[in-house]
Amino acid sequence: MIEFLSRRLAAALVTLALATVVVFAVVEVLPGDPALIMLGTDARPDTLAAIRAQYGFDQPLLTRYLQWIGGLLTFDLGNSHAYGTSVGKLIGDRLQVTLPLGALALSWALLVAIPLGVFAAWKHGGPGDWGVMGLTQIGISIPNFWFGIVLVLLFAVTWQFFPAGGFPGWRQDTLGSVYALILPALSLSLGEIAILTRVTRSAMLDTLREDYIRTARAKGVPERTVLFEHALRNALIPVMTVTGLIAGFLIAGAVIIESVFRLPGVGQLVYDSINNRDLIVIKNVVILFTILVLAVNLLVDLAYALLDPRPRISA
Amino acid sequence: MNALSRRRLLGAAGTVATMMTFAPEAWAQGKDRLVIGMSLEPPVLDPTRNAAAAIREVTCPSIFESLGRIDRNGAIGPGLAESWSISEDGKEYLFKLRRGVKFHDGESLDASVVKFSLDRLFAADSTNPAKSLYTDIDKVEAVDPSTVKVTLKSPNSFLLYSLSLGDAGIMHPKTAPTNDKNPIGTGPFVFKERKEGDSITLAKSPTWRDPGSIKLNTVIFKIVKDPSAQVSALLAGDVDAFPGFQAPELVDRLRKDPRFVVVVGTTEGEVLLATNNGKKPFDNPKVRQAIAHAINRDELISAESGFGVPIGSHFAPHNKAYIDLTKTYPLDIPKAKTLLAEAGYPNGFEASLKLPPVGYAQRAGEVIASQLGKIGIKIAISQLQWPQWLSEVFKERNYDLTIVAHTEANDLDRYARDGYYWAYNSPEFKAKWREVVAATDFAKRDELLKDCQRIIARDAVNGFLFQLAKIGVWRKDLVGMWENSPTPQVDLTGVYWKA
Repeated sequence: MIEFLSRRLAAALVTLALATVVVFAVVEVLPGDPALIMLGTDARPDTLAAIRAQYGFDQPLLTRYLQWIGGLLTFDLGNSHAYGTSVGKLIGDRLQVTLPLGALALSWALLVAIPLGVFAAWKHGGPGDWGVMGLTQIGISIPNFWFGIVLVLLFAVTWQFFPAGGFPGWRQDTLGSVYALILPALSLSLGEIAILTRVTRSAMLDTLREDYIRTARAKGVPERTVLFEHALRNALIPVMTVTGLIAGFLIAGAVIIESVFRLPGVGQLVYDSINNRDLIVIKNVVILFTILVLAVNLLVDLAYALLDPRPRISA
Repeated sequence: MNALSRRRLLGAAGTVATMMTFAPEAWAQGKDRLVIGMSLEPPVLDPTRNAAAAIREVTCPSIFESLGRIDRNGAIGPGLAESWSISEDGKEYLFKLRRGVKFHDGESLDASVVKFSLDRLFAADSTNPAKSLYTDIDKVEAVDPSTVKVTLKSPNSFLLYSLSLGDAGIMHPKTAPTNDKNPIGTGPFVFKERKEGDSITLAKSPTWRDPGSIKLNTVIFKIVKDPSAQVSALLAGDVDAFPGFQAPELVDRLRKDPRFVVVVGTTEGEVLLATNNGKKPFDNPKVRQAIAHAINRDELISAESGFGVPIGSHFAPHNKAYIDLTKTYPLDIPKAKTLLAEAGYPNGFEASLKLPPVGYAQRAGEVIASQLGKIGIKIAISQLQWPQWLSEVFKERNYDLTIVAHTEANDLDRYARDGYYWAYNSPEFKAKWREVVAATDFAKRDELLKDCQRIIARDAVNGFLFQLAKIGVWRKDLVGMWENSPTPQVDLTGVYWKA
């Protein structure tokens, strides 16, 4: 088990190291001059040069790469060029919105999708199955930002159960903050629910065909126990794999959903930083996302090992 | 978000706007609190460090004041200077400062503080985005604690205006280094809190000189970038006012809502079909004239849902020195084709049109492409992000045509600049502009400005399309908001809620 995990961890670290090179290269080739963006179209060449020197944009690439990595290793992420504030604080503040949003959307998706998938597989071929499959088709087809706008119009503008957008802040208004995340999480989870339902259904169908299920049923094990204890446990492995992948999609979806609901989250930060060519923020946020996705996948690997002993034995 | 999904979002917003139903009045507005919506977020909060208009909207003149103060009609009145006199030769300005002015941290304003602020503008190591406006200043002296003398190397008839801009905001030496995060000025509002990506909160200053004019205790600037989110924020009551509403196509919906007023005013933004005069075939005046004859401004303005005023030169129609030059090259397709043939392009040519990611450019771009298509110019449109536009079009001049609004007041000087992105080079205009800058008599200056408008209209330097409108949307019971936008500021003194 420890060997299995340490191998996984080593692979993740190598991926991370490669990612820093790729991220740095991509951010550096982005067209656009941060100094010109700060000072605008009336800036004189000498003031532009002064700004470039002040922020170190004129340093050689390698120097800047090493400075950045050095900062990462010592947890000093530097200062945002656009806001003037520390990148660590900037990202930390935004994570307080995006992490709960992602977690809420993901748990909601799992909570809805797994029972739905099990139900569809159980009613395989019947009207219940068809109904669930039809709904997931709709769920996959609807763009989540559109669904978000519809939710705002219904639940915030017409009925006013929820705010139309914005985020009060955890310390200022905890309950209000939870409230502010409900509609965004719902719209963010729509597509994920659809995908996870389908994956759960097909995994369950595969498992339900196995001999041991027939044996269990023949022994007279109650259907509920067959479904949720015998079949679901094995069917969860592909579901976990897809959940790991979806975590990455959720972050991408958050960029748009945060814009629809005016949430000051990491997605908006990335969008703004790209527009401001706030290179240091882009680099650090993308690396943070990389770490998050790697961590989620490590957790998924760990979950495999807990659900199914074979990977840790063969490792 | 790329341009495509932005367009899809706008499309979705349109659909949604048609299905809107009105919400009941469910929430009560405190009468001394105002939430103002903004489309763009200010980066830092110091107008002397960054050119973004959003910084000026939040901080000028609410937090930072300048020597002069620009009023709602664009006229200059007393700001931190209560009066001034200008020497006969236009080279010496004597400013009398207001007495008893305090910064928000308790520091006092005196001539040495003003000297510090003005010296920073034109110093050799100045990184002020508008440094070029102040390089005619030779020296600044504190004559006594409440008198400042500014001496110029050569007369500059725009100096008072330039010294009234946020770029010349008066800052204290102690707090200048930290004003980007924690702005401390002398204005009617005090900076309270910023949540990056979300909002900036100001509170009434207890020490401002005219406390009676401040009726609001709290002002919150809320950042709402997406046009459909702007509409839902207004409808849901999360935002009280959008002084600069960005989606003309959604205005009709708000006009029908009895809770809001839509106020259409003027801006200093001339929308241009900016043309690379340094590149073939646009270096040929006949080609530029042909383009001018092919432009149908009525069509362009209807693409803006009717907002905007036609222009025939680079000058705002509400300015008193304005002359109507829209008939210099009237819409005339056969004439345009003849001119192209005379220039050696009887079958037209291909050209690129590089568009920045702003609504008016996106809308006008398609229309211009079709209008120029009628005289045989085949336009290939490409979409650029702002940073790309700044590098590729503005800095490297790697473009044929682009559409962009020039939003500064008094910005004809760009036609006299060497190496500007239009690559226009006219000794005649440069000489005329020198006269404008040196004029000490304002009536004479207005006449010279008219000549300047005529020269660039005649030379068809750019396609002159229309003057951007300022679309303000706010709640009906809000009084005192500026109708026009003579400079990108939101002056909140005198703004209040009707009881």
